[in-house]
Amino acid sequence: MTTIRRFSCNDLLRFTSVNLDHLTETFNMSFYMTYLARWPDYFHVAEGPGNRVMGYIMGKVEGQGESWHGHVTAVTVSPEYRRQQLAKKLMNLLEDISDKIDKAYFVDLFVRASNTPAIKMYEKLGYIIYRRVLRYYSGEEDGLDMRKALSRDVEKKSVIPLKRPITPDELEYD
Amino acid sequence: MSSKFGLAGGIPERRVRPIWDAIDSRQFKNALKLVTSLLSKYPKSPYAFALKALIHERMGKTDEALSVCLDAKELLYKDDLALMDDLTLSTLQIVLQRLDHLDLATSCYAHACGKFPNNLELMMGLFNCYVREYSFVKQQQTAIKMYKLAGEERFLLWAVCSIQLQVLCDKSGEKLLLLAEGLLKKHIASHSMHEPEALMVYISLLEQESKYNDALEVLSGDLGSLLMIEVDKLRIQGRLLARANDYSAAVDVYKKILELSPDDWECFLHYLGCLLEDDSIWKYFDNIDQIHPTKHIECKFSHLTEEMFDSRISSASDLVQKLQRDNENSNLRGPYLAELEIEKRKFLFGKKNENKLLESLLQYFLKFGHLACYASDVEAYLQVLSPNKKAEFVGMLMKNSDSFSESATKVLGQTTTILKVQELTGNIFELPVDEIEASAVKLAKLYCQNLSLSKDLDPQESMFGEELLSLSSNMLVQLFWRTRDFGYLAEAIMVLELGLIIRGHVWQYKILLLHIYSYVGALPLAFERYKALDVKNILTETVSHHILRQMLESPMWVDLSNLLKDYLKFMDDHLRESADLTFLAYRHRNYSKVIEFVLFKQRLQHSNQYQAARVEAAVLQLKQNADSVEEEERILENLKSGVQLVELSNDIGSKTLRFNEDMQTRPWWTPCPEKNYLLGPFEEISYCPKENVKDDREENMKRAIQRKSLLPRMIYLSIQCTSTALKESAETNGSGGDVKICGELKCLLDEYTKMLGCSLNDAVEMITGISQGARTSESLGSNLVDWLNFVVFWNAWSLSSHEHWHVLNSLFERLILDRVRSMGSSDMSSCYSDVQVLVQIVTEPLAWHSLIIQACTRSSLPSGKKKKKNQHSDQLSSSPMSQAIKDSIQSLCSTIQEVSSWLLNQLNHPEDEQVERFLSTLKRDEDAAGGPGQILGVLESFIASSEESEVGNRIFQALKSWNTADTARKTVMAQQRVLREFLQICESKRKLLETLKQQMSHV
Repeated sequence: MTTIRRFSCNDLLRFTSVNLDHLTETFNMSFYMTYLARWPDYFHVAEGPGNRVMGYIMGKVEGQGESWHGHVTAVTVSPEYRRQQLAKKLMNLLEDISDKIDKAYFVDLFVRASNTPAIKMYEKLGYIIYRRVLRYYSGEEDGLDMRKALSRDVEKKSVIPLKRPITPDELEYD
Repeated sequence: MSSKFGLAGGIPERRVRPIWDAIDSRQFKNALKLVTSLLSKYPKSPYAFALKALIHERMGKTDEALSVCLDAKELLYKDDLALMDDLTLSTLQIVLQRLDHLDLATSCYAHACGKFPNNLELMMGLFNCYVREYSFVKQQQTAIKMYKLAGEERFLLWAVCSIQLQVLCDKSGEKLLLLAEGLLKKHIASHSMHEPEALMVYISLLEQESKYNDALEVLSGDLGSLLMIEVDKLRIQGRLLARANDYSAAVDVYKKILELSPDDWECFLHYLGCLLEDDSIWKYFDNIDQIHPTKHIECKFSHLTEEMFDSRISSASDLVQKLQRDNENSNLRGPYLAELEIEKRKFLFGKKNENKLLESLLQYFLKFGHLACYASDVEAYLQVLSPNKKAEFVGMLMKNSDSFSESATKVLGQTTTILKVQELTGNIFELPVDEIEASAVKLAKLYCQNLSLSKDLDPQESMFGEELLSLSSNMLVQLFWRTRDFGYLAEAIMVLELGLIIRGHVWQYKILLLHIYSYVGALPLAFERYKALDVKNILTETVSHHILRQMLESPMWVDLSNLLKDYLKFMDDHLRESADLTFLAYRHRNYSKVIEFVLFKQRLQHSNQYQAARVEAAVLQLKQNADSVEEEERILENLKSGVQLVELSNDIGSKTLRFNEDMQTRPWWTPCPEKNYLLGPFEEISYCPKENVKDDREENMKRAIQRKSLLPRMIYLSIQCTSTALKESAETNGSGGDVKICGELKCLLDEYTKMLGCSLNDAVEMITGISQGARTSESLGSNLVDWLNFVVFWNAWSLSSHEHWHVLNSLFERLILDRVRSMGSSDMSSCYSDVQVLVQIVTEPLAWHSLIIQACTRSSLPSGKKKKKNQHSDQLSSSPMSQAIKDSIQSLCSTIQEVSSWLLNQLNHPEDEQVERFLSTLKRDEDAAGGPGQILGVLESFIASSEESEVGNRIFQALKSWNTADTARKTVMAQQRVLREFLQICESKRKLLETLKQQMSHV
């Protein structure tokens, strides 16, 4: 039982048990609020009975021409509500908005190369490892740039994997 | 910074670029050199001045920066020909904002807009200034001007938002909303509306005016198509219908949503609410304080006849069954939980369906009992059951759980669920000690047996059965509470620490440990566990309540200071930058976020924790420097002699404090920072472990903060009083002293006692009674330290009264020595709460009193440089006041000596001996039937017998690294550190008093 709705500032005060999880980063306020101020349709929370925060997704839409795309900045589900396909629901929602409202070509995301469970999950959701970004995370760990093509990219050009890894300064967007 | 280039104030870009480059690369000296030469060429360019100010500000020279800003401003105002471009103004604005002079920036922009009334860019700058100042009226006026100038929809919406904010925050008349509505209607008639966010604002405006039907009309008209997500639109429609009391139409809308998204729980609750014509769910809609809503959803049925109720509930049941059928293979919980909700409503209506409710709960368990969220899903339903039904339900679960064994993880999940339900229902409080012990042993065994399931898991993933250790440690704490056998607590520490060795990411273990360590006085370890939670940013607001209070009552000043600094920095930074983010929302036309951001900023600003931390940070500085009256005066000067905090105290009185802490994560035995059940005797509890604690918290917190914020001023005034009092005491013809200072102190004492719950007279009577032994110190309740503070300042106000000195001395003696004696030779683990009180007495009232004595002594001694004996001192030496001071020093000295001796005695036990003592609490007599140590025994023997092939290399290595004695040693060492820090404080106080004694002997 999940109510998915737009994330609001007050949810920042309610997501404690989700964010205490070591894999979920707690960003500074201007980070969250910039997302809320610029892309409120890309920031959703899933709420369960008793108004508990089950998880949330934050993202944005950016790029030009054929690289106009949705981006998943963070998606997280509280351990209590895992193994119920909640992340999938949240991802589908963001994909839907990128596809139908913003008419983007693809959705992408970055994941730690060591985070096997997450990579497997994204692959199940149809994401493809597009390229490796060397030392993306704090100059230490590699990141994987994963992508999923949307309906506007009819030939699925956006997801043809790159052959060589890139460095963070070669990234088009932060 | 590239956007900053251009022709500014007539200066060519090539001359400005090197300056910006130097600033950007932090070569400020170079930048300053360049700007000086620029100014020699363009001595009247406000832009060049603005740049110079910026450089000064970046170099930390704030005074110079401000003065250059003022020069720039003067030029802007004087020179009609000066180019008043946005670049100059925004550069000045950046500097002035950092200098906390927003008003100056605003007036520059206002001046510029006055001169160039048609410049949209300047007007946007001015609007932004008003956003930063939270001047909603001026925002509105500026936005309207822009709208008239450019005719753009966005400017109109900026104006509308500014109006809504006036009504929401400034409590301006709601007539303003009519104006906003009129403006929007007119605009729509001529230009229509083009953005979904604009439509949302329009609807929210109508809703704010309670014009629900108008809003519905808008939504179903052409504009409605702006909302592209169907469900979103339906949700708004349902809400509007419900608020317009058109329940039957609302029911249809909610039905539609449920067909589209059958798992939408909130929607189901709304559906049911509308079906039963119950508007209580909407009561909270406008109440922005509902961060952590109460778990009981109020239900209103009185207007329904039984027949009506039955027929409506039966249609709800039909819908739920249809939803279940339609989604049979999707594993959605919603439609099944809905069944429970229906049974709950029936029960609350008065149907005698408790058994049916139990049956539904069981069915839900059979379907979803293996999931980690079962217990929290059903919490609200368990709460309505009577105690014996709760117990019956736990029994039912136990009976049924054995009957499945499809997969090991599922069985484990179900078992864990049953235990969680047992905890949630309070059932555990009813069980006898041996049954709880047996349960805890079973849990430990279960944990061990199931470790192999996690063998191949990624270390990042949660392990199976993790919760079993939390649950068993909760049981151990309960056993400690009942039996007072410390071994159980020691065992709980071991269980959780072992859990952390096996998987270090489990925050639940860290929080439980943090609280147990705090309770037994191993505060450094508690703090370490807290730091391991990686609490930062907004989590400092929601999570630091776990540690803050203990730290405030501890001698760990360095860690406390960092904790407060980090927290206050986060809050202050947010309060400072929030307006810029609000403007960002305006610019990106996400108007609904504008209102949200402003309300959120207010919410944080009024946070009880924030207000308390501001005061505590000041008090901490005073505590840290209380051994030197000169240092203290310096601190007080920085605190504006305490005046600001007195203002804060007055301010808080009229405001609603906000509670943003997440209390859900606290252990059952301390549901809020002020409560700890372990400090009192075990009672057969009838409360639900996670009770709602907010009720009287607000009033108590408010008073506590108000009291504390008076301290710095009272300290300041007391120091001032000493010189007056001494003069009076020396001069036989007392001049009357500084009446103003004494008068103010008296007023504050009045205020202070009021916040202790009585009048000044009653307070004096109370403390005199206690000092004379006519009353016991218990009558002071939990505010003992606050009372002592009062006595100290009351004495300072009337220094010439020998009797008052006597009351104070005897109170210190009595309250401190009573505690020292009652602690006797007890172990630190069992008497830390007494140590905590002593720490507070010594570092607060006793410190303030010593400070006042210092000030007295200083006034009565010849000043060092003049080498000339103060004319009063001869007279003073024989005065009654001098005798009072000497007596007080003597009394404090011997009292503090007692504390030091107790501490030394504790610290003199060899560490090994203490570790041994700690471990011995866990050792069990082989023949004993029960007692502490059994659970650890299970875990240890598993460690001894475990094999790598069974649990995998990672877990195997972790198990092998476990060492019980190490954990015991760490705990003991942490306790000792607290005692050492406290001893150090006591010793420094004692030395100070000895010095004062010597000085007074020369008088």
